[in-house]
Amino acid sequence: MNLFRIAFAGCVLAGAGTLAEAKPIAFSHGTTVMAEYGAGTMTEAQVFYAPKYFLSLGGGHLELESDIDHRRREITYARANYLVKRWNLEDAQANVFVWGGAGQAYVSELDEHQFAANAGAQIDYETRRIYASLKTDLQRADAFSHRTDTLQLGLAPYKHDFDSLATWFVLQGRQYTGGIHDGTEWALLLRLFKRGAWIEAGVTDEGKLQAMAMVNF
Amino acid sequence: MRKLIFCTLALLTGVANAGTIEMKVYGLVCGFCAQGIEKTLRKNPATSDVVVSLEHKLVAISTHEGQDIPDAELTRALTDSGYDVKGIERTRRSLDQIRAELRQEKK
Repeated sequence: MNLFRIAFAGCVLAGAGTLAEAKPIAFSHGTTVMAEYGAGTMTEAQVFYAPKYFLSLGGGHLELESDIDHRRREITYARANYLVKRWNLEDAQANVFVWGGAGQAYVSELDEHQFAANAGAQIDYETRRIYASLKTDLQRADAFSHRTDTLQLGLAPYKHDFDSLATWFVLQGRQYTGGIHDGTEWALLLRLFKRGAWIEAGVTDEGKLQAMAMVNF
Repeated sequence: MRKLIFCTLALLTGVANAGTIEMKVYGLVCGFCAQGIEKTLRKNPATSDVVVSLEHKLVAISTHEGQDIPDAELTRALTDSGYDVKGIERTRRSLDQIRAELRQEKK
């Protein structure tokens, strides 16, 4: 397990070193490396390869830590992402994604590993000035069931183009079920991306750091 | 007679070998996402250069001297990248001209 995690972290760092969406599938024959730090309650890293524009395969490592009673889950999973539907409009794009996977979870209060299943979905809509997405991600094992729902609303102060830097201001609302966090966690984020490199950072309503980095290549 | 056939073929293929192909593509809203299109088109051995403009929903490619990429192949490449092609046109504008025009518009 440790070897896998070290190798996985190495892949993430290697990817970030060569370059630096939040869509689970970037483009056909593209590789996506993503790392997210979610205010101390959620930390996740993923690597996916897309053999087709509508399918990506890969894996990730997710750590959830309750800010109520400090129960911890460390979930390592393999996952397939599937683009159910895409609408390519003249000045906009909308997508519906689903995903599913399985892996192993460490459950801190039992000090044991359990089989874990994962399923989720995302719907998003974006133009060059506005962005909206709603994502739900369920992690389930014998000892727990956690769903993380994330809403993002973004506004770009200007229209970026292919070779220019994109700047977005994003409002994020996130809810966890299963005793990870009480209530909705709100965050204001600054998102920057250019070509294959994406970085965003901000603070939550409790003053905690929320950050994500992603590269596509 | 041979000369006539040769001239006719030259005229017909001349249009196809204009060197610049401009495509109108829907769904181009993000440079981060559109890089897949550039990556795919650059893999084609006939492609010499690629320009993408989100503002104009434009994907333009130049081909190597005397080479062309059939419309069906271009459409397939864009569709397999997840986008919708709304038009394909061979033009006399070079990619340098297109880049210059795009730069001019931004000023």
